[in-house]
Amino acid sequence: MLFKDIPIRKKLMRIIFLINGVVLMVTCVTFFIYEFYIFRKTSTEKLATIGKIIAANSTAALAFDNPDDAKEILSALKTEPHIVAAALYDTAGNLFSEYFSGAGMDVLPATSEIKGYRFTRSHLEGFEPVIQETKLLGTLYLKSDLEDMYDRFRLYAFIAGAVILLSFLLAYLLSKILQKSISKPVLDLGATAKIISEQKDYSVRAVRIGNDELGSLTEAFNHMLDQIQAQNLSLSVFTQNLEQKVVEHTAQLESVNKELEAFSYSISHDLRAPLRAIIGFSAILEEDYSSKLDKEARRITSVIKKNAGTMGQLIDDLLAFSRIARNDMIKASVDNDEMVKEIIDNLAMAAQYDHAKINWVIGPLSPVYADMNTIRQVWINLISNAVKYSSKKETPHIEIGSFVKEGQIVFFIKDNGVGFDEKYRNKLFKVFQRLHSADEFEGTGVGLALVEKIVSKHMGKVWAEAVVDTGATFYFSLPAGNVHKKNVIE
Amino acid sequence: MPIVKTISYQFVNLYEKKIWATRSVLLILLLVSHLILQAQTSPSAEYQLKAVFLFNFTQFVDWPEDSFASEQAPLVIGILGANPFGPFLEETVSGEKVKGHPVIIHQYNNAGEIKNCHILFINIEEEKKRAAIILFLKGRNILTVSEAPDFSKEGGMIRFFTTENKIKLQINPDASREAGLVISSKLLRLAAIFNPKESN
Repeated sequence: MLFKDIPIRKKLMRIIFLINGVVLMVTCVTFFIYEFYIFRKTSTEKLATIGKIIAANSTAALAFDNPDDAKEILSALKTEPHIVAAALYDTAGNLFSEYFSGAGMDVLPATSEIKGYRFTRSHLEGFEPVIQETKLLGTLYLKSDLEDMYDRFRLYAFIAGAVILLSFLLAYLLSKILQKSISKPVLDLGATAKIISEQKDYSVRAVRIGNDELGSLTEAFNHMLDQIQAQNLSLSVFTQNLEQKVVEHTAQLESVNKELEAFSYSISHDLRAPLRAIIGFSAILEEDYSSKLDKEARRITSVIKKNAGTMGQLIDDLLAFSRIARNDMIKASVDNDEMVKEIIDNLAMAAQYDHAKINWVIGPLSPVYADMNTIRQVWINLISNAVKYSSKKETPHIEIGSFVKEGQIVFFIKDNGVGFDEKYRNKLFKVFQRLHSADEFEGTGVGLALVEKIVSKHMGKVWAEAVVDTGATFYFSLPAGNVHKKNVIE
Repeated sequence: MPIVKTISYQFVNLYEKKIWATRSVLLILLLVSHLILQAQTSPSAEYQLKAVFLFNFTQFVDWPEDSFASEQAPLVIGILGANPFGPFLEETVSGEKVKGHPVIIHQYNNAGEIKNCHILFINIEEEKKRAAIILFLKGRNILTVSEAPDFSKEGGMIRFFTTENKIKLQINPDASREAGLVISSKLLRLAAIFNPKESN
């Protein structure tokens, strides 16, 4: 794992440990080097002192050729166990007396030509001149092992080890406590940020500890959260206001719409009474006064009657249209096969068009869950439209079917009639909008508007495709609900 | 004892009167004897060692300051009686200095000649004569050395003797103390100490 990838807590502890280790190592190494040189110096000095004392005591023995006495003097060295060998040489360099600690017989240097003290690999050895007053009487040789140094170094190593262990333990405990002052705010900040991003709760705040850079960071983080929260609040207020406005506007629109519908209903209703009088009286004129009227009067009377009838039809349609908006729907399972068959039969009975020559192609139709009366109106309007607009063809062809698309049941009525120009398709389903003149094809311009209204009330859609003089196809879709549901008033 | 006294006075007078003459005579005698000795065979290893010992006494014995006429005055090693060292003693001390004093060898034929002397090797076998000389030198800062067996008992200071083929020393500390000499403890440690009570 790379150093940059490890947690900040461990990173801090490793840094502390590393510093501690380096400092301790440098200290210990320095101390050891210092001790090493000091020990060499002091042990040389110590051996030189011993050498001088022994040399001073040995003068008479050398001067008066008394090896026994020399031996006795040298044997005093046994109190200094690190001195492994000693020897006295006379001025000619001949061995005069020797001393060995323990059983080991060390090899003594043959001559005393070397002066001073020096370290060999395992020993410290040296020569001390034996002088009485100013007279050189001989030379003393001393050889000391370095066990003293090794003993001391072993002790130092033990102490250093204990100190290192203890300081690492202390460093561990202290760093465990002290690293929290840095890692805790960072970890807290991270945890807070995680809570916020996971729970989307911008009201959470990080707790600020201290006034250092981490404190400033926490402060900045909290300030950022304040801003986010304030922005969220203003956004939600804005959304609420917007919704409120939409609701208000919808209510306004609905009430205006209702007023309009009520108005058109009452207008239509009120218009029927005088219209009935016009139709009734023009009928009386036709039947009772036909002998008294001339041919022109009779024609005018029939025109009045016909137009009044058309107006009546218009009013009926308008009433039906407004009733759709006013009335509630009673939904039930609708057998479209049955319904379409019945409507075609009725149209045939009415015999308004040359019905016999129409080539009907009726596919199986999916049942729907809908308001039966209004759906019937949809079928009547669309089928009669198809019959009407294909009536001028030599062999009118009308195809009716259904299919399922995107969770909706789509019904279509296709004819080979006059069709329409597609650039006018927006006008198709608007009230009183007609693409053909009344002279060409009868109609009030309410039928398709009514279809659109009924279908959209059923949460469906209406659209059409057409080519002029080739035919038109009208589609309407209804939600594919459960057709076996119980009757429900919506 | 009165005889000895008379002799001693005679010596002193003689020395005073014929100081230069005696010097010259002595020098001649020394040279002659030196030549004779050189002609003889070299001294034995024993006397070579003893000669070195004689010189080494200068290192381990302190004389009073007033025993030297000046700071450069010589330290005199005298031989009374026959010289058994041949030229070896001369060779040993030649060029040597003790605390700035050059060491010289002086041959005496009789005690009366001894004037300025620090170490005196007495090579006189006759007991009475030896005793008279010791008595004569009493109170002077002269370290007396001899090989005579009763030398310590007679009041001599350092006696050479031989045990197991080794030359040893016997020291009479009372005598040296009376002479105002300080013998180093290191030297005393090596030597057999003469105890007058034991010998009596």
